[in-house]
Amino acid sequence: MKPKLTFALTALVLTLAIGVTAAFAGTTRSSADPGVTSTSILLGTTSPLSGVASAYASVARGADAYFKYVNARGGVNGRKISDTIVDDQYNPQQTVLATRKLVEQDGVFAMFNTLGTEQNLAIRDYLNANKVPQLFAASGATAFGSESAKYPYTIGLQPSYQAEGWVLGKYLARTQGSAKVAVLFQNDDYGKDLLNGLKKGMQRSKARVVAAEPFEATAPDVQSQMAKLRSSGASTLAIFATPKHAIQAYVFANRLNWKPKLTLTNAVASASNIMLLASEGGKNKVVEGSVSIVFLKDPTDPKWKNDAAMKLYRSIMKRYAASANVDDVYHVYGMAAAWTAVEALRKAGKNLTRSGLVKVTSSMNFSGNPFLLPGIGLKTGPGDHFPIEQMVLQRWHKGSWKSFGGIWGYRTA
Amino acid sequence: MSRARWLAPVVAFVALAFLVAVLPSFISTFRAQQLAYVAIYLIALIGLNVLTGYTGQISLGHGAFMAIGGYTTAILIADHGVKDIWTIPIAGILTGVVGFLFGIPALRLSGLYLALATFAIAVSMPAVIKRFEGFTGGGSGINLFGLPDLTASLTPVTVLGRELTFNDWLYYLCWTIALVGYVVAWLLLRGRTGRAFRAVRDSETAAQSSGVSLPKYKTLAFGVSAAYAGVAGSLFAIATTFVNPDTFPIALSILLLVGVVVGGLGSLVGLIAGAVFIQFLPIWSQEVSKSPGAPAIVSGVVLIALMFVLPMGFAGLLARVRTLTKR
Amino acid sequence: MADFMQQVVVGLSSGSIYASLALALVLIHRATGVINFAQGEMATLSTYIAWTLTTNHGWSYWPAFAFTLIASFVGGVAIHQGVIRPNEKGSVLRVVIVTIGLLLAINGLVTLIWSGEVRAVPSPFPTRTIEIGGVAISIQDIGTIGVVLATVVVLWLMFQYTKVGLAMRAAAVNPAEARLVGVRVTWMLSLGWGLAAVLGAISGMLAAPSVFLDPNLMAALLIYAFAAAVLGGIDSPIGAVVGGLVLGVGLNLLGTYVDFVGADLRLPGALLVILVVLLVKPSGIFGKTEVKRV
Repeated sequence: MKPKLTFALTALVLTLAIGVTAAFAGTTRSSADPGVTSTSILLGTTSPLSGVASAYASVARGADAYFKYVNARGGVNGRKISDTIVDDQYNPQQTVLATRKLVEQDGVFAMFNTLGTEQNLAIRDYLNANKVPQLFAASGATAFGSESAKYPYTIGLQPSYQAEGWVLGKYLARTQGSAKVAVLFQNDDYGKDLLNGLKKGMQRSKARVVAAEPFEATAPDVQSQMAKLRSSGASTLAIFATPKHAIQAYVFANRLNWKPKLTLTNAVASASNIMLLASEGGKNKVVEGSVSIVFLKDPTDPKWKNDAAMKLYRSIMKRYAASANVDDVYHVYGMAAAWTAVEALRKAGKNLTRSGLVKVTSSMNFSGNPFLLPGIGLKTGPGDHFPIEQMVLQRWHKGSWKSFGGIWGYRTA
Repeated sequence: MSRARWLAPVVAFVALAFLVAVLPSFISTFRAQQLAYVAIYLIALIGLNVLTGYTGQISLGHGAFMAIGGYTTAILIADHGVKDIWTIPIAGILTGVVGFLFGIPALRLSGLYLALATFAIAVSMPAVIKRFEGFTGGGSGINLFGLPDLTASLTPVTVLGRELTFNDWLYYLCWTIALVGYVVAWLLLRGRTGRAFRAVRDSETAAQSSGVSLPKYKTLAFGVSAAYAGVAGSLFAIATTFVNPDTFPIALSILLLVGVVVGGLGSLVGLIAGAVFIQFLPIWSQEVSKSPGAPAIVSGVVLIALMFVLPMGFAGLLARVRTLTKR
Repeated sequence: MADFMQQVVVGLSSGSIYASLALALVLIHRATGVINFAQGEMATLSTYIAWTLTTNHGWSYWPAFAFTLIASFVGGVAIHQGVIRPNEKGSVLRVVIVTIGLLLAINGLVTLIWSGEVRAVPSPFPTRTIEIGGVAISIQDIGTIGVVLATVVVLWLMFQYTKVGLAMRAAAVNPAEARLVGVRVTWMLSLGWGLAAVLGAISGMLAAPSVFLDPNLMAALLIYAFAAAVLGGIDSPIGAVVGGLVLGVGLNLLGTYVDFVGADLRLPGALLVILVVLLVKPSGIFGKTEVKRV
């Protein structure tokens, strides 16, 4: 036989062999509640490790680092936590397939910290029908808290986007009573939720939204939208976008010679590293004075330089995620989520079951999460399925965020 | 054809069908679900092969046809209470008609321009789906899970007196349709139509001067391949229990083209290998390494290597084996 | 009126970026007959190289720029010689699949080495803005358009008046006969890949200061660049530029003034226009109609 053909056939046979072996490698579990042994708990996470939203991968990474830290200290009730993170490339269809694999093949105890609104919505029915906890979904969509009667196994964590928009709207109404607002928002549930919240917060004042420009997450640039917003004559700009487009919004506002009196941005897009990029080495003055909300301790806020929790954060990052960017606040979020998960698992007891965990998370009252701002609690109860509903305003001043004012609370109706 | 010549393919096909029938007893239901997706891709690849392998028209837009099929099924189930199985032929016919209609202006475009035109349609499809929100559920998509017309989300199904889990039911549904589709395509391509298709691919001018009607066969090819893609999309929606604009992205269209080339253009046999390839490559590459970006590198390198080692795809490999064993 | 002009100016700005990548696509098609799906990713890789040099190694802009162009050229030639050439004899689709494989591999490589974090890339032009009649025009945009036009002129001069350019054209149009007159066809094709890579690098360096660098820098732009190239004529550099600018302005005006289009239908709207153009004049605005040989 010709050598090339032999090679090709061998390659084919090898490939098939590997494929078939891998096929039979998946074992089925038959325990009462999968994912729990006397020494371990298996969690599953889907995260955009690659693709357009890979900036959010830090959420999963931070949580994973925290679990490793907890495991080094003996774990939870004698069990070590293992979190399998699968890349879904921010595509809900892949989230569905990855989740099914984690539940049916890997036999995870619960899905944890899965990222994205559409992504979590795509798996919600499946998980609830299979009675698998959808624990602390990383999305602020109001649906994850407001529909808990229909989906008892699902719970979010961060303040809802609507709450966020509302706080910003209320702040605007109080300080700029009759402002005209131009809004740049991402054309999906995320952006629309924020916009609706903003409008609600502004309701009882003379401030109004005079222009709202949507953009697609896949748009290469938002220049045209910024030009249209500028021409509306608004004095306030609200940016409800994801990191890359938020940076662009600032840059293009500057290029268009537009310095709004006040700029509001949503929490996700206002991590310090993003703001620093937007400030274009100090040349971009539009960023100065931007207001956003925060519920986590930002690693670059000088206020927390000597804070014990932030020191812990840095040491965990150094030990378990050394190559990652320590200034990325998404890591802090991940750790906050992991801390909450550990508390919930601890409270669920030695006899760990899925329904037991859900019971704990449905009536939580945890204080002392070191990664959240002091005074912000984790509380749920009958009729309240939103763990975090408090936040603090912060202003970008001379290269870093500085929180001001007291704690704002919001009861999602 | 002499008796001996068609005996071999028929025997091979029967063996395949038998293997498909008994396999679920030996594998986990999760693996059965993965193989169901292989069948779905196979159906789409059979269709694409008719278009690209047999008439030489390159389409980078078959993901869009799958989207039409998928959304047809989703809308019929969610808004009109049609049982999921009956939506499959409807989706297939509807998409086939759309494909046929698209084939008409496509007659004016050739080679590269046709590829780019289909690419443009595939890229636009998610945005167009989003725009007609009232109809398609917009960005949030349509959720089918738990709807009564979806045969089995969780509860086992009873078929011919046997109880099947959702995954197994899905497996049998997809493979039955795939095998039937395979036979239909084989019959179609064996006869006059197949010869006409190949004539178009090899030389349009020669075909025309031999009396082969270019418009008729080129648009027919589009229609047939779109119908297959529509059926595949419909099954995709049933399998995933959920559709949204990102379910059928441009990457899917590109993946289908990869599958048809890796499987082997102009031949039905290698397509099963092509379907297995495109279903499992992302999974295998994640097994190699989970570091961000590494699976993509593995997939890319494997693709390039395959073009070196198997330039005619798996079908080419099988053909060479066949000629060797004949000696 | 000022708003309208502003949208036009902004459209020219975006459009010049589309044009710059379209030029790379056009060059590679004209020189080698291939559609290179990996063109964008190669440009992204080049831009990351420039970023690493200026940020991590403290190089100043112009030396980094020059090094990046040279590295891109070498890379383009290497890719052609190593990966494309062996597949050229087969069907067109084989090469297409190989470029798709390259797209995946390079995108993965970039993500692996530099992660998905957004980065800032310095601009060779000042980022000041001048205002004329209420319309803000950024110096950077003027610079970008200038570079794109200069590139087209250089390409045109090369193809029309130099021996190398003539050889490249011959190698692309009729390789067999070109070989007979002594043209080293394979090297001409490699040259085409190298030059296209350089154009891609320039495109990335022009785009990144405004839209910022991450692994998906070019992914979003690629489809617009294709659209621009098709609109202008896939073999015409001038067409690529005109196509890009027309596309940029057209998209903005469509999105701004036609309510039905809004945000989500910008690109589909533009693609529809292009489809119509293709049906009416299949070879684009500046393209030459293909004559089929029997």
